[in-house]
Amino acid sequence: MAENTTETVQIEEEKSKKVSTSIFKKRWKKFKTLKRGYISFLAIVFLYIFSFIIPLFFGRDALMVKYNDNYYFPIFKFRLASELGQNIQGEANYRLLKQQYKQEDKGNWVLMPFYPYGPNENLLDELGEGNNPPTKPDFTHWAGTDNRGRDVFVRLLYGFRIGLSFSLVVTAFSYLIAIIIGAICGYFGGKVDIIIQRFIEIWSTLPFLYVIIIVSSILQPNFFLLIIILTMFGWIGMTYYIRGEFLREKARDYVSAAVSMGASNRKIMFRHILPNSLTPLISYAPFTIVANIFSLVSLDFLGFGLPPPTPSWGELMGQGLEGIDNWWLIVTPLLAMFGTLLSITFIGEAIREAFDPKVYSRLK
Amino acid sequence: MKAENILEVKNLRVKFPIHGGLFLKKVAEVKAVDGVSLELKRGETLGLVGESGCGKSTIGKAIINILKFSSPDVEIEGEVWLRTDKGEVDLLKLDRGQMREYRGMIQMIFQDPYSSLNSRMSVGQIIEEPMLYHTNKSKAERMEKVAWLMEKVGLQAEQSKRYPHEFSGGQRQRIGIARSLATDPKIIVADEPVSALDVSIQAQVINLLQELQEEFDLSLLFVAHDLSVVEHISSRIAVMYLGNLVEIGNGIDIYHNPIHPYSKALLSAVPLPNPNKVKKERIILKGDVPSPINKPSGCAFRTRCPIAKAECAASIPPLELKKENHFAACPYVSYDTIITESIENKA
Ligand SMILES: Nc1ncnc2c1ncn2[C@@H]1O[C@H](COP(=O)(O)OP(=O)(O)OP(=O)(O)O)[C@@H](O)[C@H]1O
Ligand code: SF4
Ligand SMILES: [Mg+2]
Repeated sequence: MAENTTETVQIEEEKSKKVSTSIFKKRWKKFKTLKRGYISFLAIVFLYIFSFIIPLFFGRDALMVKYNDNYYFPIFKFRLASELGQNIQGEANYRLLKQQYKQEDKGNWVLMPFYPYGPNENLLDELGEGNNPPTKPDFTHWAGTDNRGRDVFVRLLYGFRIGLSFSLVVTAFSYLIAIIIGAICGYFGGKVDIIIQRFIEIWSTLPFLYVIIIVSSILQPNFFLLIIILTMFGWIGMTYYIRGEFLREKARDYVSAAVSMGASNRKIMFRHILPNSLTPLISYAPFTIVANIFSLVSLDFLGFGLPPPTPSWGELMGQGLEGIDNWWLIVTPLLAMFGTLLSITFIGEAIREAFDPKVYSRLK
Repeated sequence: MKAENILEVKNLRVKFPIHGGLFLKKVAEVKAVDGVSLELKRGETLGLVGESGCGKSTIGKAIINILKFSSPDVEIEGEVWLRTDKGEVDLLKLDRGQMREYRGMIQMIFQDPYSSLNSRMSVGQIIEEPMLYHTNKSKAERMEKVAWLMEKVGLQAEQSKRYPHEFSGGQRQRIGIARSLATDPKIIVADEPVSALDVSIQAQVINLLQELQEEFDLSLLFVAHDLSVVEHISSRIAVMYLGNLVEIGNGIDIYHNPIHPYSKALLSAVPLPNPNKVKKERIILKGDVPSPINKPSGCAFRTRCPIAKAECAASIPPLELKKENHFAACPYVSYDTIITESIENKA
């Protein structure tokens, strides 16, 4: 059938003979051409994944120990010093053990990680005569030690993992709440919308910092409590965007078409409208992540953040404030923060660009 | 319901309230449809014509009962009777859950081929979706039907993995047509299916609809704002002006012998295939279409009607039988009234 029509249809076809691409794939392709953002993206993703295996490269526990013809893997399992023939209380100190074995020369050996210091490890005994912590950066401690004699470089690395994880979790939870509430307001509209909007207005006037200070002074803040508090205040901004998206998309014909074929509200909201409403969410996510890292650093700096001895950039800077001579306690966490926030901002910029239909405004 | 009818719209009125002021009180209302009755016979194509904003889409959306979804405060009166295997139902009395059962029977083709397809779904998913709600076919059966439908509307089945933005406007409208056929509907409301397309592609899509209508024995309500588009495909044509029907009759009669002054003007605006052959009088209407918020009293057309009289403001003229199967809503014209002179007199 439709003989007379097939010819032009075929001509039209020629245009679309290329491989099929979803809009997401197209944008991903464009994102990859924006070098600055793409490289930052790869770097951050690599660093973050790497940060989960840092104990293999940066840590206090030996990877492998040979003692009296037995092999031990302390990195996976806690060992008492006495088990390995070391004469101290509690857990073994593998750096000292290594020296001890060397002196004994009985064929026992210890394989340490590349950079053998842990984030919460007090090195007072090993800093040597006349070196009172904090000590300056040198070849053993690349970024020096802090005022409790802990290695700053390792603390920065672990701080990155904690800060970014914290921020990712807060961002994910805030956005999840924003999607649910924004979708309900925008989709159902009417009274539901008015009531929720008024509630949001009241909620958003609560002073965030005071609430944190009050909560921190009553409860000892921990990772999860801080996530809950930051999420409670973090969802509001994105809710407005999602609500607006739903309001707009709901009036479009593809939604009418879905209604006219009998789709349920849930199907319409999540199968049809949501995938078309994610642009603000994806473009803001990197900036929200940056903001949440920054919040955690600030709270740690002020002393309302994660409890000690959690490795944290904000806490290091707080130490730096105590004596300006210890410049490395300020400069190194600042550099780490600067690098991280800048890379994520580059990612955000590239995402925004990849979502921009105007090709000519591309950043080079 | 008459035996030959599959759908009857009775005295349909649709008003969109306009809210304003501090407390968002209702300050005015748009009378988008103001008392329209229509009958759609089984297997026929009824053309519905009128200028932009006269309420054509609103009628279509009232029939498929989706007005309440996008505008929850809309006021709808009247009845929309549908003949089903189990008897007759008034669709406007059903809530959204009850309506679901009948949705497969009536489908709509939308005006804008760009916004009517979800750009995040592949063409296959788009065409498959109605089957998820109205059949219990297996995945394989559904994909088979998708391929079959795509071939039917002149697309290639291999394109089902593609996304809508990879297709031209005409192809997208074909996708919309395939989707509307997925549930084996009895009635299709085609809301200006070609007005967003290039003229060269319009004819293809109209031909396609005509072929599909015959093949599937569809009853088609074909909406257009231009008589030349519906003339070709419709067995009967209804002409609308500002929410009212002003004339309804067989396609040939309306196209060659319109009675109502508005239909005459609409027809005189249609370009002729061969301008030398017939020298047709050209009626140019003065002024703009009044706003449906302040509809003129009585005959809504009187502000622009070349033969308007003082009495026209008194009451809305009903549709009168002027000739066999041919109705017009104006008491001052008959089958052979010629209006040209009076226009020139006025001008
Ligand atoms: N949701 C709505 N809220 C308020 N007014 C509306 C709404 N939908 C339609 N209208 C109004 O109702 C009138 C009829 O609209 P409708 O879309 O039915 O016109 P139409 O004949 O389909 O026009 P077109 O040819 O432009 O598609 C218009 O004046 C329009 O502004
Ligand atoms: S009723 Fe009056 S205004 Fe209306 S079309 Fe007839 S003559 Fe014109
Ligand atoms: Mg319309």
